[in-house]
Amino acid sequence: MSPQVAGQLELLGQVLISGILLGGLYALIGLGMSLIMGVMKIINLAHGELMMVAMYITFWAYTLAKIDPYVSLLIVFPLMFVLGVGVQKFLLSPVMEADTVLPQGQVLLTVGLGLILSNLALLLFTANYRSVPVSYASKTIYWDLHPGGQTISLSFSYPFLVAFCIAGVLGGALFVFLAKTDTGRMIRATAQDKRAAALMGVNTKRITYITFGLGTALVGAAGALLDPVYYLYPNIGGPFTNKAFVITILGGLGDIPGAVLGGLVLGLAESLGSVYISLGYKDAFGFIIFVLVLIFMPRGLLGRGRI
Amino acid sequence: MTIRRTFVVVAMAAIAAFAASPALAQGKTFTVGVPLPLTGAEAKFGEMEKQAYEMAAAEINAKGGVKGSKLVLDIQDSGGKPETATAIVEKFITIDKYPIVVGEYTSQCSYAVAGVAEKYKVPYLVVTGAADKITQQGWKYVFRLNPPSSLYNQGLFGLWGQVGKPKTIALLYENTDFGTSTSKAMKDYCDANGIQVVLNEGYQAGAVDFKPILQKVKSLRPDVIYMVSYLMDASLLMRQSKELDINPQAFIGGAAGFTLPEFLQNAADASEDALSGTLWTPQVKYPGAKAFFDNFKAKYSKDPDYHGAEAYAATYVLADVLKRARSWTPDDLRAALSDTNMMTAFGPVKFVSWGQFTNQNRMETLVLQVQNKKFETVYPPDAASAKAIYPVPRWRDRK
Repeated sequence: MSPQVAGQLELLGQVLISGILLGGLYALIGLGMSLIMGVMKIINLAHGELMMVAMYITFWAYTLAKIDPYVSLLIVFPLMFVLGVGVQKFLLSPVMEADTVLPQGQVLLTVGLGLILSNLALLLFTANYRSVPVSYASKTIYWDLHPGGQTISLSFSYPFLVAFCIAGVLGGALFVFLAKTDTGRMIRATAQDKRAAALMGVNTKRITYITFGLGTALVGAAGALLDPVYYLYPNIGGPFTNKAFVITILGGLGDIPGAVLGGLVLGLAESLGSVYISLGYKDAFGFIIFVLVLIFMPRGLLGRGRI
Repeated sequence: MTIRRTFVVVAMAAIAAFAASPALAQGKTFTVGVPLPLTGAEAKFGEMEKQAYEMAAAEINAKGGVKGSKLVLDIQDSGGKPETATAIVEKFITIDKYPIVVGEYTSQCSYAVAGVAEKYKVPYLVVTGAADKITQQGWKYVFRLNPPSSLYNQGLFGLWGQVGKPKTIALLYENTDFGTSTSKAMKDYCDANGIQVVLNEGYQAGAVDFKPILQKVKSLRPDVIYMVSYLMDASLLMRQSKELDINPQAFIGGAAGFTLPEFLQNAADASEDALSGTLWTPQVKYPGAKAFFDNFKAKYSKDPDYHGAEAYAATYVLADVLKRARSWTPDDLRAALSDTNMMTAFGPVKFVSWGQFTNQNRMETLVLQVQNKKFETVYPPDAASAKAIYPVPRWRDRK
């Protein structure tokens, strides 16, 4: 094997690694939105802003109490769950029950919620960019391969790898929860047919609370995992709401394995596109795939469209 | 007018008179409008400049102000957004009637403000915005204290003269006025001097992960990686270069994000050995430079970089202009500005026109390097505080 080929292989390998690791985080962000979409049939447009809230919780936990971002997951997850339940119970549910003129009233409400959250953060924490300067922020694990006498050196970012593993564990746990537990079955039943589920004795209202809480907690966990590798500011939510939306559509509305696939596809599209086409159009690649999927595979990559 | 409304008007007039009276009691004042990014992505630059403006104004006022008037700064937060900066300056000129505007940080904002100032025929002193085009419009009321971004790399070219020019280079820059202008100047130099540009990519601010493009840079094995970024991206780029174990002869930043004290904190050990062009360091031989650095550090407990020096010098240029102007009207202030010929802590200030530039100050630029978690001046030799480490060691060979 010539050094040029080895160099190209190293580039491709590294780009794939970066894409998959980033995709894991994206998948976690998308999971929460997809879950909410599946059960409530609404797109939560405050998704990114809820993640921003979790990022600030993690930031302050680290700054004030020196709590490691990964440890603070134990705080962020329940806190965000409670926040999500509260939002559903006191804001979304009343609007869902009312016969409003606009059937999309709940979606508009999430837009408003997002605006309030980001402006509240702006007011409380100013627009300053902040970061969580953990000691392992640029720690890296190297993996050297020696095919055909050439050296291919691949590197794995430690915080990205940890984030990917935690995202995998959370995604797996969610899958088991939905498949095996009673509450999980009730969530799936509600997603498939809300009225029939209610007739079978499922407290669908309570299920919507739990679903929104779970979705919020999942994106909150993604926020906490993002803190060590990125930075945060009050308006960080918008771009991530867009990404979550793209992932949800890619996966098929409400399809949990589809959302994981969607996240990975988006991560890979961004990293491959920025290297082999152009860095300046990085954000465009996700949307190009988004439009293509909408046109040719409107039920998502897996073509099922349900939990 | 109803009785109630009359009452309100009278009450408001009374409050206004009351509010104005303390200022009158202290004597005359001269207020200058200063838009700055105090929040947002560029807030750290704005914060340092604000502190430097205030420090200089306090010094000037302690010595009796200008012509017996107290110098007052009206610093407003633009958030680094051109549209907000424009609105602030429109208000400065049309409502507050300030006869001169000083400041702003990014090139986009400075360019927008310059357009407004020229429209209303009010002089505007650009302090930091560096994109070449700001002083290439033939605008009569726009003066620039800092050199244009195409000259930011002069010091670096000098350093290369010492240590040897690279054969290949990779350019990464943010898609902003400053980033595009600075990297274009670098590309022109490389093309003219036989340095092969192996990669030339602009990026949108806000990327989570630069690793794919950095990996491409790595596979191209350039001698030098040159980056033009503001603070957060500068830190991410260095951190991720370390992660990917990219080992060129040098990482070189085009000023801005690479010279702030916060860069050392955010990038931590990944900032070690990074070089950057800069306009000022505490080692420069200009009178007052050392005193400015020491006083600033004592007052705000952090090291100022060239941004602080620019703002500090701009305040002294303003005081000098106010002293020399026949009257404090926009046109007389403009005339006084164009006659400026003085020495400041930032360097000599004289507004000249050459080539496509008008009313543009000219000065030497320097190179600094992060050594042992501190910024050291490594070029030019007469201002150097340490010897350049070039080429830099491989990441794996470092402590």
